Amino acid sequence: MTAGTPTMTAKAAPEEGTRVKLLLVDDDPDNLLALQAILEPLHQELMLARSGTEALRMCLDHDFAAILLDVRMPEMDGFETAEIIRSRRRSLQTPILFVTAYRSDEQLFRGYNLGAVDFLFKPIVPEILQSKVNVFVELRRSEQLVRRKAEELERTEQRFRAVLEAAPDAMVITNQAGIIELANTRADILFGRSREALIGRDIHALLPAWECPDDDFTNPAGSQPTSEQRLNAYRDDGSTFPAQITRNSFHTADGLLITTAIRDATDQADAEAKIQKINLELEKRVAERTAALRYSNEALRQFAWAASHDLQEPIRTVVTYSQWLAKLADGRLGSRESKMLATIEQHAARLNQLLGALRQYIQVSDSGQHAHTQVDCNAVVKAATWNLQAMIQESGATVDCGPMPTIPALELPLVQLFQNLISNAIKYRSAAAPVVRISAEESDGGWLFSVQDNGIGIDPKYGEYIFGVFRRLHGSDKSGTGIGLAICRAAVERLGGRIWVESVPGSGSNFRVFLPS
Amino acid sequence: MKMRIFLAEDNLGDVLLIEEALRRQSLDCEIDHYATAEDAIRAAELCGQGSPVPDLMMLDYNLPRGNGSDILAAASRNPKLAQVPKVIVTSFLQPEEFNHAVKLGARGVITKPVDFELFMQDVGAKVTELLQGGNFGKTKAMGSEES
Repeated sequence: MTAGTPTMTAKAAPEEGTRVKLLLVDDDPDNLLALQAILEPLHQELMLARSGTEALRMCLDHDFAAILLDVRMPEMDGFETAEIIRSRRRSLQTPILFVTAYRSDEQLFRGYNLGAVDFLFKPIVPEILQSKVNVFVELRRSEQLVRRKAEELERTEQRFRAVLEAAPDAMVITNQAGIIELANTRADILFGRSREALIGRDIHALLPAWECPDDDFTNPAGSQPTSEQRLNAYRDDGSTFPAQITRNSFHTADGLLITTAIRDATDQADAEAKIQKINLELEKRVAERTAALRYSNEALRQFAWAASHDLQEPIRTVVTYSQWLAKLADGRLGSRESKMLATIEQHAARLNQLLGALRQYIQVSDSGQHAHTQVDCNAVVKAATWNLQAMIQESGATVDCGPMPTIPALELPLVQLFQNLISNAIKYRSAAAPVVRISAEESDGGWLFSVQDNGIGIDPKYGEYIFGVFRRLHGSDKSGTGIGLAICRAAVERLGGRIWVESVPGSGSNFRVFLPS
Repeated sequence: MKMRIFLAEDNLGDVLLIEEALRRQSLDCEIDHYATAEDAIRAAELCGQGSPVPDLMMLDYNLPRGNGSDILAAASRNPKLAQVPKVIVTSFLQPEEFNHAVKLGARGVITKPVDFELFMQDVGAKVTELLQGGNFGKTKAMGSEES
């Protein structure tokens, strides 16, 4: 601020509270009035004293930015007054400007000796007085500002400490090298040391693996907190515990500081270990159960296999003997007897057929470990249609196959799958000549096959039902064992895939097979 | 000259059918029939030592107290049976069973057809062929189910 110019008068009065006090001391009321008039434009609080005694009393109650002291006064002159002012603690530093009419070396010497900062000689030049006094006003203002800032800083520091203390974790503030500058009470407790013992020490004594986080120098506010990190921590007594830490850095005038929040993770680590143990236990039990299930599945499969085989033997004999008997008795049986014998043979033949299909099903659903090989599905479809030659020719069916991929699989179940789907498409045909379209497209992690026909279709409510064993939707008007689609499903599941049907009754079915590659 | 046929078969119905098939081929045969694997094994061990050596061994695979391969193994230990053709006669055989039987000396498999007429033709023709020194399907390895 440019001090002491008359333009000051134009300045708005400083805010209450930022105004400083000036003491004017003179035994002559006219002089006081004159000084007051000159200093009024500074807009400070002017206090007037008519004697040294009065000035001293005022100095007891007020702090002045400056005292203008008339040298020549009755009873107690300016110098005596200054001496006493100087002797008091409160006013020890208060700047004193002497006002005098005489310019004598002796006076100057005495004045400066008493701590005067300046002399003003009468007649007073207002501009000079204003300018000189203003220097002290500004000085006091700056002092006040510095004091306020200091107080503010102290409050901030207190708040910071309060935050630090209130934090749920142990907090340690270090420099880049890891030397501890500040720590909270939780840190003392966690590490079993007094705060004095922590401050100035290397954080590596507590957390040997501690590292200064990579600082983001583009961010003046410092870094974001680092992600949580699990470190070994050491207490004062040498005992160790797992600690969960996060760090963040901030810039200060003294360089980079790092705040490290430390939490005892013993409970968490224990819980994690417990969960891991439970998981292992669970995995073990699942493995045991899976093995037991696999064993019982295999045992069941072997039983079903043996049963289907042992049942087929006698039924085959019944079929053959019915035919033999019919042959031997030819001409000797009435039409009723012939019909009865034919019925026995028919049903025995049917049972034989069912057992054969069941055995095929068991074979396809074999849960044993077989190595998959690269199977060319073009060849698979070719083999399936070759096996169905007679049926295709007889029905006048068109079997159309798009380009097929080569996939890792087992050849036999795949041939069985396509054979059953194609024969199904022909078997359940509508009045029109059957048209079967086979295609494949790459799909999320595998291949999606499609066997589409123009047959009678399937009511969607039976979409799942038809894949069960011995499930049939038609009577004896359509041949079939009711196992064909169950075999398809067993084959697909054995290859880790999925089968389903999309159909509109009356306009055909689309059997869809997804196989992973 | 009368042919001797060693037949291991537990299904008496099949024994009659085989006899009928052979009769239709006008083969003059005497059949030594064994209904369990155990009986057949004992007989195979004794062939050539008091009991006659057969011209053909027809073995069912699944039998009480053993199977066709057990009989083949016993036969292979008897040098008197080394030159005798052996065949498995069964309704169904798994590939590994077939391969095992061939390894033990079977010349092949005759599958019992369900149809009566087919049974007569098939079994009759194959037995005739074997008795005349043919070795049908001897080396043919089986890759898949024979039905």
